[in-house]
Amino acid sequence: MIAAENLRHSYDGKNFAIDGITLQVSKGEIFGLLGKNGAGKTTLIKAFTTLIRPTSGSLDILGLDPNHSGKEIRRRIGVVQQGESFDFATVEGNFDIYGILWSVPKKERQQRRDDLIKAFGLTDVRKKRAFDLSGGQKRRVQVARELMHDMDILFLDEPTTGLDVIMRRELLDSIKERARKGLTVVFTTHNLEEADYLCDRVAVIDKGRILAMDTVENLKRLYGGKRTVELTLAGGDSEAFFGALEERLDGSEVRSEGNSAIILTEDPKEVLRRIMELSQSSGVQMEWLNVRKNTLEDVFIGSITKSEQD
Amino acid sequence: MAAPDIAKLIYRNVKVNIDPGTLIILIGLPAMYLVFFGFGFGAMIPGGGATEYLTFLTPGIMSFQCVMAGTVGGGMLWADRRWGMLAQLLVGPFTRLQYLLGIMFTSLLFGLAGAFVMLVGAFLIIGSLQVTIWGALGGFAVIAVGSIFFGSLMLLLSALVKSNNAYNSIQILLIFVVNFASTVFYSYNSTLPLPIQALFQVNPLTYVANAVRGLFSGALPADSAWQLPLLVVETIVLLILATRVYVRSDISFV
Repeated sequence: MIAAENLRHSYDGKNFAIDGITLQVSKGEIFGLLGKNGAGKTTLIKAFTTLIRPTSGSLDILGLDPNHSGKEIRRRIGVVQQGESFDFATVEGNFDIYGILWSVPKKERQQRRDDLIKAFGLTDVRKKRAFDLSGGQKRRVQVARELMHDMDILFLDEPTTGLDVIMRRELLDSIKERARKGLTVVFTTHNLEEADYLCDRVAVIDKGRILAMDTVENLKRLYGGKRTVELTLAGGDSEAFFGALEERLDGSEVRSEGNSAIILTEDPKEVLRRIMELSQSSGVQMEWLNVRKNTLEDVFIGSITKSEQD
Repeated sequence: MAAPDIAKLIYRNVKVNIDPGTLIILIGLPAMYLVFFGFGFGAMIPGGGATEYLTFLTPGIMSFQCVMAGTVGGGMLWADRRWGMLAQLLVGPFTRLQYLLGIMFTSLLFGLAGAFVMLVGAFLIIGSLQVTIWGALGGFAVIAVGSIFFGSLMLLLSALVKSNNAYNSIQILLIFVVNFASTVFYSYNSTLPLPIQALFQVNPLTYVANAVRGLFSGALPADSAWQLPLLVVETIVLLILATRVYVRSDISFV
């Protein structure tokens, strides 16, 4: 559905917002783009949705070349952008206008509008102007409105911003359900938990480059072992303690900040034993010690840190 | 059968821009000019001058709708940029050119509708208007060309000026100069200071107002023989320029 090869784009001719992106997204896949602010996620979405023409590289969307078939591609995609976008109309007016723009027949348009308004909990505000809604309500209108028309690929640029926990989960489930029926979804987010919950594969992006790309489970395995040991010291010289610990843990990486550290390891028992030994010999007390499974956050932090160190 | 893409965009533009604010700018302001200037200046003319001046002013105010329609067109682009709909529409099933033409034709519709309302308003105030069907149709055709000219001008401005404040300031200045350095409210005469005379001569609104007034009175003035072709050429050039600048511009998606 999407094939990008060495894609680069510069807004000013000097710095590249995306710099050599190569990826493929298959039909029915939910693909997540993870990255810090300014990492290049939105620029990549803009390139995929034909809003910008990449400076170099090749891009294929739905078997079409965006340089020559932009309109044909746009007919078959849906886009929920990061920023607000509303017409000066009521909530249902926004749905109606959108349906007309997308040539949805009248009866179907009204049916879809009513179904989406109900499904997204917007019944009470359907007669209100979209601009007068709260942040979360606006976001719901934007996402629901995009579902007024059929599409092959849905691009969602941080769609859950401002949504409460229940609505977020309902939205993610609704996306999953649509993906099961064959919809391809490209999804950007800061929220690693929801990426973990939703995405089949993710790409971690920083400074316009892909640092890691695989299924969530593979990434968790590949990045830093199978377990994370979390450690917080009660006092003492934390820098010296973590330095000494790293020397004793041959092969396990210690990432410290202040008096806290995380250790990614395949052998948590051995790590715990070393920590206890060091604590006893140095007299440094521990406030918190915990072993847990790796999360996508560990992958994210790990890949970004590794990139910065390189 | 689905409506053509531009028709859908025009429908959307009309639907979201028929709000009290736009109507006040489009209809209210020219209507106030018609009433206050018509009776105010008309009263200064001895012997039933108000009716005579209103008859003179009506085609001028109808012509002025070109500028107001252009302003509304520029405002649509700004609003779409400000509220995120520009980027949203451009990832929809439309081209940039279709979006631009959608705004242009909406401006044209607003210009013609506004001119029609002014015509009806003047008829209600004066009680009668001596104009033939062909004269009125010709007048509306000239207003249509003028609407495209000023629509293109405002869209060009919208695409080039990056700041909303700068755009509003330039627009206000432009409306003032174009409006009052034209034959909308008074005739061109050689007693005017030379710079103002020059402004009158190069102002496309003068060409529109002269032609519409001439068509309403049954005979085009001699100057329209060169002013109208020039207006058409200027409109085509400006339309092409606005389209090229807009399509190539890196519109910022706020």
